Amino acid sequence: MAAAKSSQKKKTAAAPAPDAVAVPEPQPVTAPALPPAFSNPDTVETYKALYDILGRAYWEASDLNAKDTIQGARDSLYEILTDLNRAKLEANTALFQSLKTKIRDSNKALDEIKDKINNITKNISTASNVIAAITKVVSIAPTLL
Amino acid sequence: MRHRKSLPSPLCLCVCLFWLAGCSISPLARNTAEFSSAASLVVDNTQNAYRKAVRINEDAQASLLVARFDTDHPMDPHSIRPLIDQKGLETRTKVLDGLRTYAQTIADLASGVSSPKLDEAATACGSNLKSLGDALASSTSIGINVTSAEANATSTALKALGDFLVNRQIKSSVPKIIKDMDPTVEALAKLLISDIDILRDQSGRDYEQILAQEDGFIRHAGSSLSPIERRSEIQRLPRILASEKATDDMLADLKDSIKKLAETHHALAAAAASKDSSSLHARIADLRASAEQLADFYDSLPDSSK
Repeated sequence: MAAAKSSQKKKTAAAPAPDAVAVPEPQPVTAPALPPAFSNPDTVETYKALYDILGRAYWEASDLNAKDTIQGARDSLYEILTDLNRAKLEANTALFQSLKTKIRDSNKALDEIKDKINNITKNISTASNVIAAITKVVSIAPTLL
Repeated sequence: MRHRKSLPSPLCLCVCLFWLAGCSISPLARNTAEFSSAASLVVDNTQNAYRKAVRINEDAQASLLVARFDTDHPMDPHSIRPLIDQKGLETRTKVLDGLRTYAQTIADLASGVSSPKLDEAATACGSNLKSLGDALASSTSIGINVTSAEANATSTALKALGDFLVNRQIKSSVPKIIKDMDPTVEALAKLLISDIDILRDQSGRDYEQILAQEDGFIRHAGSSLSPIERRSEIQRLPRILASEKATDDMLADLKDSIKKLAETHHALAAAAASKDSSSLHARIADLRASAEQLADFYDSLPDSSK
C-alpha cells in the first residue's frame, strides 16, 4: 500500500524534470555532461526545499497512513536528489583526473631533483674509491720495484 | 729529513664551507616538514570522510530497501548504487596520495634526504686519504703525512661541500616547483570543497531517511515488538540525530581544513621565494591544530557512526 502511494508520488514528484530537459545549457569543457536538471539550480533547490517541508510534515502528522504517504513522496525526492549528487560527484571525478596528471608531473620533477642530489653523493663516493684504489697501488708498489 | 707538505688549514676550510652550505635552507626545511605533517593529516581526514559518506548512503539505501520490502513495489537490491563509484574513489585516493607524496618529498628534499649517504661517503673519503698518506709515507720518499685530525677535517670539509652542492640544487629547484604547484593545490582544494559540500548535502538527507525509516518501522511494528525491543528501537532515534550532527560538524571542519591547506601552501610558496616566513608559521600552526582536532574527533567517534 505504502509502496503504491510511493510509486504514485514518485511520478508526481519527478514531473518537473522534463521541464529541465527542455532548457539545456552549455556544459563545462573540462567536466563530462551532467543531467539536464543541473541546468537550472532553482529546480534542485526546489526539490530540496520540498523534501525539507515534507520532512516537517512527516513529524507533525499523527496518522500512520498520512506519515506513509508523506514519506513515500520524500523517498522519491530523496532518490532524485541522490542521483543528482551522484552525477555531480562523477563530474568532479573527471576534474580530479586532470589534477592527478599535474600532481604526478610535479612529483616526477621532485624525483629528478632527488636523482641529482644522489649524484652529488655518488661523486664524493667515487672520489673516496679513487683514493682507496691509489692507496692500494702505493702499498704494493715497493714489492714491484 | 722528510719535508712535511702542509694541507690547507682544515679549520679555515670547514668554516668557509659550512658558511657556504646555505644557511637560508633551514627555514625551507622546517616549513616544508611542518606543511607535510599537516597535509598528511588533512589527506587522512578527507579519505575518512569519503568512506564515511559512502557508508551512510549505503545505510540509507538499505533502510529504504527494508521499508519497501513487503510492499507491492519492493525495491530491487540491484538498484542500490554507491554514492561514489570505485573509479571515483580510486581517482580521489590517488590524487590525495599524490598530494601527500608531494608534501613529503619537498620536506625530504629540503631536509637533505641523502645526508646519511653523504656522511658515509665523506667519512670514507677522509679515512681513505689518511690511508693514502700512510701508504705514501711508508712506501716512498714523498714526504706526505696525513694526520687523523687532518683526515677528519677533510671528511668534514667534504661533507660541508656536499651539503653546499645539495642545498644549492634544492634552492635552485624546489621553490620553483612549490610555486608551480600552487595553482594545482588551489584547484585541488576547490574541487575537494565542492565534494565536501555535496557530501554534506547528501549525508544530511541520508540520516533523515534513516531516521524516518526507523520511525516508520517502530510504528508499523506496533505490539509485535516486545516493550524492551520497542524501547531500544525508540532510543535509536536521538542517536541517529546525534550522528547526523557529528558528521555534519566533521565535514564542516574538514572544509575549513582544506581551505587552510591551500592558504598554507600559498604562503609556503611565497616564503620559499622570499625569506619571510613569519606569516607562514602562523598558518601552519593553525592548519595543524585544525587537522589534529578533526583527527581526534574522528577517532573519538564510535564505530557505529564512523
